[in-house]
Formats: sequence, structure tokens, C-alpha cells
Amino acid sequence: MLDVALVSLIQDMSEKAGVEGTIQYWARVGESLAKRMGKEAYMGWPSFNVALREGRTAFSIEGDVSALTDLAITDVDGDVVGYIYALKVCVFDPTIDRIRYSVGSLPSADRAVAEEYNNSVRNTAVCNFCVIHQRFREEVAKNIVIADQPLDCLQLANRGYTGETKIAEDSLRRISIDPEYVRSLLRNYACVYAILMKGARLRGEEAE
Amino acid sequence: MKASQRKALKDDNPFVDVAAYLFLEDIADKQGASGMNNYLVSLATSLANSMPAEEYDTWDQFVDSLQKGESIITTFETIIMATSNCVVTTECPFEKGWQEYTKRIGSFSKIHYEVAEYYNATVKPGASDSQCIIHQTFRKAAAERIKVGGKVLRYAQVAAVSPGSNKTVAPDEWLPILLAKSGISHTMLNMILRNNACVWILYTE
Repeated sequence: MLDVALVSLIQDMSEKAGVEGTIQYWARVGESLAKRMGKEAYMGWPSFNVALREGRTAFSIEGDVSALTDLAITDVDGDVVGYIYALKVCVFDPTIDRIRYSVGSLPSADRAVAEEYNNSVRNTAVCNFCVIHQRFREEVAKNIVIADQPLDCLQLANRGYTGETKIAEDSLRRISIDPEYVRSLLRNYACVYAILMKGARLRGEEAE
Repeated sequence: MKASQRKALKDDNPFVDVAAYLFLEDIADKQGASGMNNYLVSLATSLANSMPAEEYDTWDQFVDSLQKGESIITTFETIIMATSNCVVTTECPFEKGWQEYTKRIGSFSKIHYEVAEYYNATVKPGASDSQCIIHQTFRKAAAERIKVGGKVLRYAQVAAVSPGSNKTVAPDEWLPILLAKSGISHTMLNMILRNNACVWILYTE
């Protein structure tokens, strides 16, 4: 019930404070949630990927996340500095279904918030909830170290409940992944992102 | 597909639930308990107002819809009827979100209890925490959208046990009247509260 009520609040808040205000609130909540979940440290990528599979990392709150270990991200020296991860079901999906059954349709603020975010922040949102959980992942990455190295999180691609997709081509270029390959991942996953060592010298960046 | 089957199909995502609590806490940081209370009341009212209105010819038809979870007032919860007017919510619909919060973040922030004190003092006694404010306000606003035999449905809160185990019963001076309307005794109320989350009544005038 809380999730459905929350969507009413988004509509209410967007009417009162404007969609920009809602984006600011969502971004703050994403930061606050990540901070309150605390810090984590892992010996290396295998131990992080096992923790993720077993639902022990802060990233696991979003649901069933797969580490696509065949998609390692390497730096200019060929060392593995990260992996691509994929969320099976959008965190907002059950809420959207319940709203459609109990209320009838999503409020117009859902679309308005996503569009404003796409225009003013970056073009990666398919619904209002993308604002919070993309920010949440970026903040969570800052709280995790692997082999004493802090992490970065890059949003790569996502698919909304209407089938609309967003592909972050700039981020894909940085990690040298073909956008069409990531698009094909969206047939099986709702959201694809990369977790990598902060400050790694990536091959894609060197090429630029 | 029946509403109860639909509810069983998909659980809330923990991320969405925990984010919702933090969203409310962020509001409270800036506007205090009174501001948070205003938002809780507003969101619950607008949720009920966004749902379709209902009308039933007879009380029996309405109770049947309630029990099946087809009425807007019981869309989000599983209930049993102790009497034809006394509704018992078996599990608080916020319980899962509360459990996710306490599992992943820690103790439930005290602002959720402070806002309930504010609500009890300024609106109506009956809330154990912020979740009760949403739920009770929603029920009141949803009841106003339902007509049974041409009369608007009325709702009154009798008692609630929050996921954190705080029990809140209607004030002593109101309780005999509420129990008379509900058709249960005080002893029966306490028996119900041992195994259930919330007791409330629906009636028409």
C-alpha cells in the first residue's frame, strides 16, 4: 500500500513544488538511503560478485541482480576493473501493476518527472522512479571498496513498463561495449549498469 | 482475476518501500511532525480520491466485496469480518515495508512515532505510527466514496497494533460506543488483537 500511496504523493508534490522539486527530493532520498545502508569492503571482484548473488550487498535491495561475468570491463593494461550487472525486474514494476489494478492509471507526474530528468539531468529515465534508484546506485558505489579501491557506477540501459528503452551511449563508449549488445540484454533484463573501479584508465577513454 | 489473487502474485519491492519511508523522513527533516502529518493525510486522501467510487444495493453485497478485496477500501489489505460491521485486518499492509526498513536500515526512525502523537493530539486518536495515519486517513476518504443502499459509508477506528508492536486503542470515553456499533465485547477485542493487526468498523447512518 505504501508504494501506491507514494505515487499519489509524487503527483501531489509535483503539483505543489513542481517536477524539479520532486527530482530534488528523489535524489536526496537516493543519497540518504545509500548512506544509511553503510559501508562494505571486499577482497576482490569474485567475493563482491558472490555477495551480490547471495543478496548481501546494498545493491541487492533492488532485487534479483545478475553479475554478467562474461562482460568484464578492462583497463588499458587489460586488467579487469569492473563488470556489467543486470536487474531482472524493475523495482517499480510491482507498484505499477498494483496502481493499474487499484487506481486505473499512473498519474501524469510519473511521465513529467521522467521527462524533466531526461532534459535537465541526463537522458536515462523511463519513469519517475529511475531518478531515485540511479542516484542510489551511484551513492552505494561510493560506499563500497574492492581490494581497497572505491567504486563508480554507470547507468547503461533500461526498459520501462511500456517497452520504452534508454541506452546511455556515452557511458557504453567509455567501457567499450557495443550499444546493440546491451540493447539485446534488455530482452531479458529491465536495467543494466556497470560497476567499476573509480579512476580506472579505461580503453574507451584512451581512444577518445 | 480476483483482487486477492492479484495481491498474492506480486509483493512490493523492498527498495520502493524503504525509499518511501525515507522520502517521508526527508519531508519531516524540513517541515517537522506537523508538515509530515499534512503530507501523510494529503497523500492518503488523494490516493482514495483517485480510485473509482462504488455503490452497493445491500449491506450483504458490500460485505461480500469487502471480503474478496474487491472494494477500494480493502484493496490493500486482507480482512476477516468479526461481525457484519466489525472488520479485522489480519496483517498490516505496511508490515513488509517496516520489516525491510528495520532489516536494511536499522531502528524505525522516531519521527514516525512523533508524527502519530501529533496526529492523535490534533486530528483524531488512534494512530500508532506514521503508517496508521496513511491507512486510517485512506479508509476514511475511501468510505466517503462508497454508498450502500444509497447512504454514504462511515468508518471508525477501534484499535491497531503496529508492526513495531505498539498497541493503540480508541480513548476510553469512545470505546463503549464503538464496541456497541461493532458488536464485539472488550474481551473479544483483546482476543482479536492478539493475532491480528487492526480492528475497525463500517456502518451507515
